[in-house]
Amino acid sequence: MESKKTSSKIGVYICECGPNIADNIDIDTIIARLPSLEEYQNKELVVKRYKLLCSNEGKEFLENEIRENEFTHLVVAACSPRDHDTTFINVCKKTQLNPYLYKMVNIREQCAWIIPDKEKATEKAIRYIRAATSRVLKQSELIEKQLDIDPGVLVIGGGISGIETALSLAGKERKVYLVEKSSELGGKMNMFKELLPRQNGNRDIIEKKIEEVKKNESITIFLETELESAVGFLGNFEISLKNIKNNQPGAEFTVGAIVAATGFRLTDTGKLAQYKYSKESEVYTSLEIENMIKRDGKIVLKSGKEPESVGLIHCVGREEKGYCSQICCNYMLKFISFLQQQSDSIKIKDFYRDMCLPHKEDQGFFEEVKNKGADFIRISDVKIKGTHVEYTPIGKDKKEVDVDMVILAPAMEPEKGTEELAELFNVPLSETNFFQEEHQQLNPVETSIEGIFIVGACHGPAGISESMLQAQAASGKISTRLIPGKKIVPEVKVSEIMEDFCMGCRTCMDICSYGAITFDGELSVCVVNEAICRGCGNCAGSCPSGAIRAKHFTSAQIYQEIIEAIR
Amino acid sequence: MSKEFMPKIISFLCKWCTYSGADLAGTNRMKYPPSILPLRVMCSSRVNPVFLIKSFLHGADGVLIGGCHPGDCHYQSGNYYTRRRFAILTTIFDSLGLESERLKLSWISAAEGTKFVRVSTEFNEKIKSMGENPAKKKIFL
Ligand code: SF4
Ligand code: SF4
Ligand code: SF4
Repeated sequence: MESKKTSSKIGVYICECGPNIADNIDIDTIIARLPSLEEYQNKELVVKRYKLLCSNEGKEFLENEIRENEFTHLVVAACSPRDHDTTFINVCKKTQLNPYLYKMVNIREQCAWIIPDKEKATEKAIRYIRAATSRVLKQSELIEKQLDIDPGVLVIGGGISGIETALSLAGKERKVYLVEKSSELGGKMNMFKELLPRQNGNRDIIEKKIEEVKKNESITIFLETELESAVGFLGNFEISLKNIKNNQPGAEFTVGAIVAATGFRLTDTGKLAQYKYSKESEVYTSLEIENMIKRDGKIVLKSGKEPESVGLIHCVGREEKGYCSQICCNYMLKFISFLQQQSDSIKIKDFYRDMCLPHKEDQGFFEEVKNKGADFIRISDVKIKGTHVEYTPIGKDKKEVDVDMVILAPAMEPEKGTEELAELFNVPLSETNFFQEEHQQLNPVETSIEGIFIVGACHGPAGISESMLQAQAASGKISTRLIPGKKIVPEVKVSEIMEDFCMGCRTCMDICSYGAITFDGELSVCVVNEAICRGCGNCAGSCPSGAIRAKHFTSAQIYQEIIEAIR
Repeated sequence: MSKEFMPKIISFLCKWCTYSGADLAGTNRMKYPPSILPLRVMCSSRVNPVFLIKSFLHGADGVLIGGCHPGDCHYQSGNYYTRRRFAILTTIFDSLGLESERLKLSWISAAEGTKFVRVSTEFNEKIKSMGENPAKKKIFL
């Protein structure tokens, strides 16, 4: 950068915004009054007005003014920064002026348009401009860095979500590393023979996709492997893997983003008193039934005989877990339909608490199996002793029934190892122990650490279509963020900790939602990792010793704004 | 006072929610008192309690903090910390004999221009009825 200037020269440009500002604020009064204010007595101040600053002529005009006047600081009083802050930052970038030595003042939305009295509106605009002008003098240059990125992606989990992510992202210029802890790809879908009939699919889908992954030259598959460590940030994560079988260190490489697709498991029904059963009894979990259908082509008892009556129990563990697993009602309907095809005389008793039928096809499917004679009983309570079922229909007395076979729909929970992975990434888990997304509505497939994504059932109960959606969404985000050959500009308005003032209390470390702060044991101080920091300023708001500078929102800058705004 | 008392109310508004809510009020040409002086911060959690004390001692008649609704923080949970700090600060204000009713915290989303107008108008009325901040002439920092 150029040499430090000793004296400052501030440009203040007031936009008329056509009539929008000019009609409601007396701009000439501002131009006349500002230079006479005491704080500008020994400073050079240029105050001018312009018709439409965001127009092409306006931008050119401003650019020339900055150059010709050799401004050290710039204030633009116009509309909301939401509309044109970036416009004027870009104007600064074309000149010698560092854009962080410029400040926008909102005299349209927050003055001209809300105050009917022109005199009062002008008064407020002056306060506002004074505050900004004093603030801008306290601002410092910030230098944006351009960082090279690695467009590659690490995908953890070789189930349908991971496979779909890998396939969507892999390409000539983007390598994908697919890590799976078991000895084969496919995940839970390997247990299925048939997908839900209304999803028009069978397991060809997964077999075809596995083939594609294997053939794809941009995808490297690591089986029986897990993640050992991942350090870095969006664009640059250093990865080391570990071979599970021999517990030896595995491959090491760099990627730009990481996608966790580690899936789910079923909750252990043995831990739920009301569903205790012995190994010998004819009680099965849903995944055992899927396996049975795939292996034997039918649903049978241990003797090999087909059952004549089957009780299906939904929501096993829902209350304990505190969430609905979303897919169980649907696959229970699939089992019923399968059993109905297997035997015309089958007696079905389906014990449900609530019927969750979220997709547009589901209701029709439900009515179909119901019309074929399945007995759906809405219950408030249920208990099994082997295949003896005690249940309480809603609003009625307790009843009991013996069936040949019981099928349980245990709640989905995150796969074993999810917690360890979350710890390794330093991303939070939700109260339900699934990964926590950055924002449920606004950013549902990314975690609080930029560059670490979550797809499929590790993110929360999800069926195949939801998992595919999430995989494709995350892939879309990654491909727009990590463009091969393009650099990224990390946020510069981050926080920093001044070592000398830090007393090592770690308050800041505990509150940072992004894990951007670590403790340096040797110096007994906290340190901000600027690559991770989002610049929210929470740490600066919390530090009891004032050791944290939120760059571009420093206390000194804000004090100036306060003082001038109320002077 | 011969002229009508116009309070000075420093308002720390988070960029994502309340500042945008205030913008929306402007875009819809709603009216609210000129005494509201909005300063833009990235997150309401940036507001160190010292900012409020500073505002007070420099003569603000009231301070308003506006952030996203709980659960909607752009930075996940910043506003929960704001709420905690705010609660502590009001206690400190009371124990120092300062008037904590001159401080206000409100959750206003980017879509709630009307709420911004209502909250700032009501707060302005309240401060007007309380009169000038008596602390400004007494304490020095
Ligand atoms: S910069 Fe903003 S205030 Fe100026 S003309 Fe453009 S929209 Fe209007
Ligand atoms: S809160 Fe402040 S004093 Fe405490 S560790 Fe963080 S920077 Fe240091
Ligand atoms: S500014 Fe926010 S993201 Fe950055 S270190 Fe502080 S609390 Fe964390």
